[in-house]
Amino acid sequence: MKISLLKLFLIFIKIGAILLGGGYVILPIMQSEFSEKRKLVTQEELVNYFALSQSLPGIIAANMTMFIGYKLRGKFGALSAMFGVIFVPFWCIVLLASVLGKFVNNTYVQGALWGVGVGVVAMIILTTREIWQKSNRTLYFYIIFLLSLISILIMKISPIQTIILFSISGILFKSFQRKRGINK
Amino acid sequence: MIYLLLIYEFFMIGLFSFGGGYATIPFLYHISEIYGWYSLDELTQMVAVASITPGPVGINTATYAGLKTSGILGSLLATTSEMIPSFILVIIVSKILNKFSENFYVKVLLETLKPIGCALLASVAVGLLKPTLYDYKAMILLGILILLSWRSKKDPLYYLLISGIVGILLRL
Repeated sequence: MKISLLKLFLIFIKIGAILLGGGYVILPIMQSEFSEKRKLVTQEELVNYFALSQSLPGIIAANMTMFIGYKLRGKFGALSAMFGVIFVPFWCIVLLASVLGKFVNNTYVQGALWGVGVGVVAMIILTTREIWQKSNRTLYFYIIFLLSLISILIMKISPIQTIILFSISGILFKSFQRKRGINK
Repeated sequence: MIYLLLIYEFFMIGLFSFGGGYATIPFLYHISEIYGWYSLDELTQMVAVASITPGPVGINTATYAGLKTSGILGSLLATTSEMIPSFILVIIVSKILNKFSENFYVKVLLETLKPIGCALLASVAVGLLKPTLYDYKAMILLGILILLSWRSKKDPLYYLLISGIVGILLRL
């Protein structure tokens, strides 16, 4: 049974609309839509996609959307899922931004923005801690972490350049290590 | 010209950000510093709005940043450019699903991206903490939020709502 591109687009509009908070709620939503209701993707495949989505670079929810769209209808499926999932959030942001523009001088709106701004800082600190805890902290991890921190904070090298620099050095270092291991 | 820069910057974010919605903030922070398309205050405002509206935070921030930079077209370009790397990567990975996670270079790359991503976020935390140091109310609220979420973290939305309400109450 094949699902139409339009139907896929519509399902993802719904998913985008109810996706609130972190990207982690996407798995249960996808399970109910694609595995329980429609039986298009198995539970196991979804968990697999979710794990891969987290280990690939990019936005987790975007990766997940692409995996399912691509599995169901190929490249066009992935694209229609992509445009579906951003549909409601897109217009919400555009609307809210214009409304906010009018009320931004209101003292209560400013108070709320100040508060949420502090909340965002807390969330960033907690996310840092979360990645830290979830990682397998080897000596290699500590060294790369420290060098990246120096590169960004002190040497003011851009995030992308830092990533490229250390990814290449990491690959060179590990390849060298592997070669020496084989030669022994 | 600004559109090309916008596409480039957000494509790179989609390609290099790692570890969920807030992981894109270091890149947005950097964009604000070098292009000045929006101020740091506006950045926190953007992240706040992106967190309380439906949709993935990482994508919502792109929509908002694009909007600030060059209107609705910018918004659409930033959002889609940020998702295109996922499109390409997922197609490649779907085709070589089994071989992918066993590949040596892929393994090393993933192992390396984690500490870098962690350092990127830590540096943004430091950058955003600096202005907070001069605002004792913000320091107290931040301390309380971290204490509340340190043991068991609920959905970020929950803490953002609390802090928003505190912000309103302080103005009464």
